[in-house]
Amino acid sequence: MRILVVGDGKVGHTIAEHLAREEHDVVIVDTSEEALQRSEETLDVMCVRGNGANATTLLEAGADKADILIAATASDETNMLCCLISKKLGAKYAIARVRDPEFNESLSMLKKELDIDMAINPERATAIEISRLLRFPFASNIESFAKGRVEMVEFRAHENDVIIGKPLKDLGHKLHGIPQVLYVAVERDGDVVIPNGDFVIEDGDRVHVAADVVTITSYFRYLGKHSLRVKNVLILGGGRISYYLAKMIVPTGTHVSIIEINERKAASLSEQLPDVNVIYGDGTDQELLEQEGLSGMDAFVALCDRDEENLMTGLFAASEGVPKVIVKNNRVAYAQLISSMGLESIVSPKAITCANILRYVRAHVNGVGTKVEKIYRLMDGKAEALEFIARAQDPYIGIALKDLTMRKNTLVAVIVRAGKVIIPFGNDHIEGGDSVVIMARESGIGDLNEVIRK
Amino acid sequence: MNKRLVLRLLGAILLIEALAMSPSLLIALVCGDGDAMAFALTIGTLCIMGLPLWFLVKPIKPNLRAREGFVVVALSWLVLSGFGAMPFVLSGVIPNYVDAFFEAVSGFTTTGATIMTSFDEPMRGIMFWRSFTHWIGGMGVLVLTLALLPQMTGRTSHLVRAESPGPSLSKIVPKMGDSAKILYMMYGALTAIQFAILVIAGLSPYDAAIHTMGTAGTGGFSNYGLSVGAFQSPVVDVIITVFMVLFGINFALFYRVLTGAWRDMLKSEELHWYLGLFGAATVAICILLMPTYGNVFQSLRYSSFQVASVMSTTGYATADFNLWPQAAKMILILLMFVGSCAGSTAGGLKVVRLALLCKISGREVRHTFQPRKVQVVRFEGKGVEESLLTQVAVFFFVYILMILMGALLVSFEGRFDFETNFTAALTCASNVGPGFSMVGPMENFAGYGPMAKIVLSILMLAGRLEIFPILVIFHPSVWKK
Repeated sequence: MRILVVGDGKVGHTIAEHLAREEHDVVIVDTSEEALQRSEETLDVMCVRGNGANATTLLEAGADKADILIAATASDETNMLCCLISKKLGAKYAIARVRDPEFNESLSMLKKELDIDMAINPERATAIEISRLLRFPFASNIESFAKGRVEMVEFRAHENDVIIGKPLKDLGHKLHGIPQVLYVAVERDGDVVIPNGDFVIEDGDRVHVAADVVTITSYFRYLGKHSLRVKNVLILGGGRISYYLAKMIVPTGTHVSIIEINERKAASLSEQLPDVNVIYGDGTDQELLEQEGLSGMDAFVALCDRDEENLMTGLFAASEGVPKVIVKNNRVAYAQLISSMGLESIVSPKAITCANILRYVRAHVNGVGTKVEKIYRLMDGKAEALEFIARAQDPYIGIALKDLTMRKNTLVAVIVRAGKVIIPFGNDHIEGGDSVVIMARESGIGDLNEVIRK
Repeated sequence: MNKRLVLRLLGAILLIEALAMSPSLLIALVCGDGDAMAFALTIGTLCIMGLPLWFLVKPIKPNLRAREGFVVVALSWLVLSGFGAMPFVLSGVIPNYVDAFFEAVSGFTTTGATIMTSFDEPMRGIMFWRSFTHWIGGMGVLVLTLALLPQMTGRTSHLVRAESPGPSLSKIVPKMGDSAKILYMMYGALTAIQFAILVIAGLSPYDAAIHTMGTAGTGGFSNYGLSVGAFQSPVVDVIITVFMVLFGINFALFYRVLTGAWRDMLKSEELHWYLGLFGAATVAICILLMPTYGNVFQSLRYSSFQVASVMSTTGYATADFNLWPQAAKMILILLMFVGSCAGSTAGGLKVVRLALLCKISGREVRHTFQPRKVQVVRFEGKGVEESLLTQVAVFFFVYILMILMGALLVSFEGRFDFETNFTAALTCASNVGPGFSMVGPMENFAGYGPMAKIVLSILMLAGRLEIFPILVIFHPSVWKK
C-alpha cells in the first residue's frame, strides 16, 4: 500500500519505520533536509523535501496515488490543509494530528468539511489512556480486544501473590477458586517470554493476563489487588493533557487537584474547570506536595513538560506511599530504565499517537493475505497481540489446538465465538468467523495461516 | 565492522557473478571455440566459494551501516573483477593475470580500455563475456543483487548510494528492491530495443549483441580492432550515437516518461546542460573537421558520434580522432572530464556536478563585489544544501588529484610521452576507454607494464565508484571493531 507521511519528526519517523517494515511503500515529506537524511539512511522509504501543504510537493510525493496520508507536522493548520489538498488530489484516506484544544471543540465539523478521516489529538489520546489506568489502578497497562469483550491487563507480580512460584499449569486446579485466565506474556529483566504450562512466575515479573471483563475483575479481586476506586488524584502540571484528563474524570466523581507553576495558566485553568482544585505553585517543591496531602492521594499523575521533573516527583510520590503513580515521559528509549526504578505506569503522548495511527492504518490494509483486524504493541514493542477473523476455508478450522503446529514464540490467547469468550486450552478448536487473538514476540505477522499450521 | 554481514553479501555477489557468466558459457558451448572449459571452471569456483558464504554465514546483526555499505561495494567490485578475469586466463586468450585483471576491471567499470592487440581468431564466448561485463557493470552489481534478492531488506540505501553515480541518491519508488527491479527492467528494455534496431540495420546478431552491450553499459569494447568504424555504415553510426546519448541520461527520467510525466523530462535542468554541451561540442568539432572531411554531413557524422562516445564515456570510435586538429582533440579531452548525467550508466565527473561547480563559482565572483547578497544555489528548481555543494567541490578536487597522481605513477615506467600518460589516467578515471597518442582509439594499453596496469585498474574502479568507497577501504579505522 502507498502511504504518505508528512512531517518527519519523532511521530512521523516512528510511523514510517513500522509501516516500511510491514512492506508498505512509504514516502516521507518534510522541509528539513537533515531529518530526511536520517530517515533515508535508516529506513527503506523515499523522501521528498518540501512543504506538506504545497500541492506541487504533494504531487511529487505521489499524494494522488496514495492510499493513506498521515499528516504529523508540528502545525495543526499544515496538517489539516495537507489532508484537504491530498484528498482533493486523490488520496484515499487522510489522518491528521490536531492538538489545539480550540480546534478540538469544532473537530467533528472540521473533519467533515476538510474530509479528514481520522483526527488524532495526542494530548487527548494520552488523557484517555491515563483515565483508563486510573480506572484499574492495579494494572500498569490495559488493552481491550474483540470490541471490548476481552481485556488484557499488565501488572507486576509481588512476592506474596499466590501465583508466584508454581508452574502455570498447576495454577488452575490446585488452588481452588482462582479464576481461569490466560497468561499471555511475561516480561522479566527486559526479555519477553510467551509462557507455557511449566513456566513459573517470579517476584517482579511483569505479567500479562487475558480474559473476559468479569473474570478479570474477579481474578484481581482474588489476588487482593482490586483496591477501591481512585477517588483523589493529584496532577502535576496544568497543560493540555491535564485539562482533558480533568474533563474526563471529574464527572465520574473523582476529586482532582492540579498544581500549576504559571499563575495566569492556573487562573485560566481554574476558570475552565470550576470543579477542580487548582493550586498555583511549584510542583517539584516537596513541601508543597506534602501540604496538598500527597500521601493521602489515591493517585499521582506527573504531566510536566520536562521528563526529568515528572520522574523525580513520581519517585517521590511513590516513596510517600501513593498507591498509583503515572508519569509522562517522551523518551521512549528510557522506558525500560524507568520501570526498573519502580514506576510502572509511563505514558508517552508520542508513542500513544503512533500506536493509534498504526492501529488505524492496519485496520485499513486490505492487501492480499493480510487480514489483521487489530494490532497492539505491548511492552515497548517487544511483543504484539494480533486480532484475526478466522475464515471457514482455512486448514486449521475444527482441529484441536494441541494437534496443530504453532509458530515459535506465538500463542493463541483468546477465541471469541458468537460473543462468547473462550480462553483456549489444548482441546479447544477454531471455527470459521471466530475472532482469534494471537500473542507474538515478533512483528510483521499478517495472516493467521502464518501462525498456525496443520 | 560487521564482518559476517560483509562476507555474506560477498557470497551473494559471487553467486550473481556465476549467474552472469552462464550466458557466456552457453555461447561458448554453442560456438565450440574451445573456451567452454574456462567458463565451467570459473563458475564452479564461484559456486564453491559463494554458496557456503551465502548460506552458512549468519550475521549477528542484520543492519548495514554506512561503513559496511562502502566496504561491501568496494570489495564486491574487486572480487568481481578478480574472478571475472579467470576465463581470460584459463582460455589462454590473455595468458598474463595482470593483463586479464585490467581487461576485467575495464569491462566491469564500463571503461572499455583494452590490452588485446589481435581480434583475428576470437573465442566468441570470451568476447561475449568481455562485453557482458559492461552490461552488468553499467547499472551496477549491487543494484542487480538487490533486484534479485528481495530478502535483502533494511538499510540497503548505503549499498546503492556507494554504487550509483551522482552526488545524491534519488529513489524512483519508495522501496529499494522495487527501485532496483524497475531500473533493470528499463535497462533491459532499452538494450533489447537497440539490439533489434541494430539487427534490422544489417548487423549479425552476435556483432549487434556485442555492440549493444558496449553501448548500454557505456563501455566501449568491440570485437573489431577498428571499433564501430569497422562496419563502414552511417546508419549504424547514427543508431549507436542516439543510444549512447540515451544511456547517458538519468534513468529516473525514463521512469517519469513511462509513468506519464514526460514533461518532467523536458524540464530537467541536468538534461538541458547535458544536451546543451553535447550540441555545442558537436557543432564546434563539426566546424573544425570541415577541412578534413570536405562536407557537412560527413563531418557531422564523425563529430556527433565521437562527442556522444566521449561524453557518455563509451569510448567507441568511427575515426582515428588522434589525427584530428588540436582544438577538436582538446574539446574531447575536456568532455572526458565531464561525462554524463547522474543516475545513468556513464562515468566521469557528471554533468550535475559541473553545473553546480559553475554555479558556485559564479556565486563566489558575485560575493566578492556584493558580499551581503544572500545567494542560494538552485538546481532543478530547488535550493541546494550547502553541505552538498561542499561535497561536490571536494569531489572535484579529489577527482583531479586522483587523475594527476595516476598520471604521475604511470610516468615512472618511462615508456610513453606526457600526452599518452595523462590521457591514459584521465580516460581510465572517467571510464571512457581510449585516450590520445599511444593509447589513442586505434591503439591499446598493451604497451604499459604491470605496475601501470594496476594503477590504471585502480583508477578505473575509483572512477566508477566515485572514489570514496575505494578510499574508505584503505582507511584503517574502518577495519577496527
